[in-house]
Amino acid sequence: MKCDQTQPLIAPYVDGELDTLRRRFVEKHLKNCAPCAEQHADLVALRQRIRTEVPYFAAAPALAERVRAIVAATPPAGSSGRPHKRERWPRLSVGVSRHWQWLASGAVGGCAATVLAFVAGTAVLDWQASQNVVAQAVTRHVQATLGHRLVDVASSDQHTVKPWLSARLDYSPPVHDLAAEGFPLLGGRLDTLGGRKVATLVYGYRKHTIDVFVQPDSFDMPSSHELRGFNVAHRRAAGWDWLAVSDASPDVLNGFVSQLVSAATAK
Amino acid sequence: MSDHARFEKLVMPHLGAAYNLARWLARDGHDAEDIVQDACIRALKYVDSLNRSEARAWFLTIVRHAFYDWCERNRPADIAHDDGSALEAAVDHNAIDPEQAVLRRAESKAIADAVAELPLAFREVLILREMEDLSYKEIARIADIPIGTVMSRLARARALLQGSPRLRAIGERTSGGER
Repeated sequence: MKCDQTQPLIAPYVDGELDTLRRRFVEKHLKNCAPCAEQHADLVALRQRIRTEVPYFAAAPALAERVRAIVAATPPAGSSGRPHKRERWPRLSVGVSRHWQWLASGAVGGCAATVLAFVAGTAVLDWQASQNVVAQAVTRHVQATLGHRLVDVASSDQHTVKPWLSARLDYSPPVHDLAAEGFPLLGGRLDTLGGRKVATLVYGYRKHTIDVFVQPDSFDMPSSHELRGFNVAHRRAAGWDWLAVSDASPDVLNGFVSQLVSAATAK
Repeated sequence: MSDHARFEKLVMPHLGAAYNLARWLARDGHDAEDIVQDACIRALKYVDSLNRSEARAWFLTIVRHAFYDWCERNRPADIAHDDGSALEAAVDHNAIDPEQAVLRRAESKAIADAVAELPLAFREVLILREMEDLSYKEIARIADIPIGTVMSRLARARALLQGSPRLRAIGERTSGGER
């Protein structure tokens, strides 16, 4: 075997992609050809370096918890509307390159899945979450962040968000932008929590989203909590109940609620 | 088995692989988590048509699609301009010197950075091959390209790493004292 025949086979050889016959040819050639052997050694060395030096990123345990929460919030879809789905897979497996082409409708499919999770998930979650305000708050947060309907009124201006919420509720919640403290106000949203309409203020923190549910009545729950990978902080102060939900760390979240409360009591 | 039970059994074991792939594609931990969460919703929807033996490659296909959709929404420039021409122009293919390997080890971050800087099309093929140990055939299915393209992209990715300006820079630094 000559070099020009061997060289294209070196990478498949290293990757274990050759059949026995061609593997033997390459092995034989490498023993007798210094330049090809060097090319082979370089490739082996590079692969070794990648394996030992390039990090394999481990997922945070909280991610698995969040995924389970999202999955639990998504009702089984198999019951209706897709009678022939089980038959599609074997038929698609005929052509290798077209194998998973139906997934290439990613953008549409993804949106549909998200909307499905968002719309249909609500019904299932209503009974599930009514047992527990914390579960309900986390569920609202998941739905809002996944459904891309994060805010009903998008504004960093507290004087826009507050009247918008007041007009739709029987109370006027305190609204303060905390951009200077690192928590910019993104907007507001109306939610239902424990059967009551509540104001939700949406804040950003680095790449995290924080939902704060504010109401005059008291939420019956402990001051801080961790549920399905999300952190929840609760405070009763200045005649208001604050319930914050986020995937930001508990320290950040508790600090944030303190800032909110002091901003509300200062004025 | 319900869809939820199938998801737990077939998809959840591969959450780590999904996160690693998304993390290397998006090059950001938080974005990777968003992508994986989106992929999980999609996977749940189709999980009843999934065979156990191909669960990992199947799920990684979904993760990859979720990444590209996420990219279109958030970083369209990454897809449009990431054809590798800029990096390749800077590459000197004769630059790597195997004798510097020992000295280079002290700079172990360099190769990880060089992988992160690979153009997207090369990076994904390399990650699937070297970190997930997938065959050419499996990579072809995941990336929806012919096997020949898998081989040429992989060869290109490796050549870029072997001639990477970062790795070369280290070689120059370590041999600088002799000049």
